Amino acid sequence: MKEPVLIKPDGTRLDGRKPDELRPIKMEVGVLEKSDGSAYLEHGGTRVFAAVFGPKEMHPKHLALPSRAVLRLRYHMASFSVEDRKTLGMTRREIELSKVIREALESVIFLEEFPRSSIDVFAEIVQADGGTRCAAITASSLALADAGIPMLDLLPGVASGKIGGKVVLDLSELEDKYGEADMPVAISPRLDAALLFQLNGRLSLKEFDEAWELARQGCSKIYEMQRNALKNRYETYKPEEET
Amino acid sequence: MTIYFKEKEIVTPGQLLSDEGQKPGEGTYAEGKNIFAAQTGLVVPGKTIISVIPIRGPYVPKPGDDIVGVVVDTRPGAVEVDIGHQNTATMKVSPRLRRPPADTKLGDVVIGKISYRGLKGLFLDEREGITKIRKGLLVTLTPTKIPRLIGRKGSMISVIKRETGCQLHVGRNGLIVVSGGSPSKELAAVSAIRLIEEGAHTSGLTDRVTEYLKKA
Repeated sequence: MKEPVLIKPDGTRLDGRKPDELRPIKMEVGVLEKSDGSAYLEHGGTRVFAAVFGPKEMHPKHLALPSRAVLRLRYHMASFSVEDRKTLGMTRREIELSKVIREALESVIFLEEFPRSSIDVFAEIVQADGGTRCAAITASSLALADAGIPMLDLLPGVASGKIGGKVVLDLSELEDKYGEADMPVAISPRLDAALLFQLNGRLSLKEFDEAWELARQGCSKIYEMQRNALKNRYETYKPEEET
Repeated sequence: MTIYFKEKEIVTPGQLLSDEGQKPGEGTYAEGKNIFAAQTGLVVPGKTIISVIPIRGPYVPKPGDDIVGVVVDTRPGAVEVDIGHQNTATMKVSPRLRRPPADTKLGDVVIGKISYRGLKGLFLDEREGITKIRKGLLVTLTPTKIPRLIGRKGSMISVIKRETGCQLHVGRNGLIVVSGGSPSKELAAVSAIRLIEEGAHTSGLTDRVTEYLKKA
């Protein structure tokens, strides 16, 4: 494939977005009946289901911690989520991402309230179009809040980066592939702290500041959407009509 | 006093509730003088304490809670009861008896009372003992919605009992046993519980349940 022109002459991107614009986002909470909490997220072409089970008894028992719960997170891409079929099972990349996402979420959950137990989170990517780790964080934290697990804050995630010499927000798969830098972050607006921070490629200090500010704004926008998704679930209830 | 939330607004984790240094109640946490929500739910504002009633959440056992559970193990000195918590509740059998309460078998549904929860585990009150329930429908409800099922001073539960003629054993852990004269009456009580589950966060629920049961 020929390398695409990432920034058009009029300053817009491949899909017509402005540099600081997010892709269309759709969120829904409580989509899976058999889990304790669940969420579905569409972030551009990326689609994720997240499900939470627990707190429950830790198995195997010798791994239980007497002072707090153990958070276990599985980030997994479905075989059909990418263009060339992905083999089943956890790849090296998925194991690593499960770890970084878990560590980001561990710092917002009150794990000390559930000693000797485990909380299992499953983030399943059903369609991948860039930004899957950030989408997995956004969806998992929504599912945890839906399960009623006490948390410091909801955690939104979004990537910013540099493509075609310009700093932009929310990279798609093509932009990530042909761009110069990709910086996925998860910022808790309430704590005003980055709980996940990765950077692939090179950014000058000035570009970095710009990318950080874009990511911060993006995270606050997604945060508001997360809050609305949680509220909407319970405000759609209407009493029965009189007959 | 600054107000950070509307009346009957559903708050989400991380939302600021107050900055006046009250005590953080259930479903909240404090940082300095600020109180934030830790769970999704409705706020109960107070002068000295602010808490959030979560819409969904895990069961947190407290001493004195009445529970409904299923016997999962019987040993010479103790009976283990599954109450839908990460730990099974242990019922110690007094040394004089040296055997489980008469005719307790695996799989029995029993009622009991929590006496201790801490580092040693989860225990049921020995003096209260456990009582076996012989018949009825076992229903689950999110533990956070149990107070709504009971209602203010037991108003909701007495409506269901009165209208259906069923007996209800309600466990704080989210298990309920409904037993009544006929299957249709039992099912009516169960659908009333489902109605409460759907509308636990709305007002005027007792009236709707009464109306629903009168129609049924």
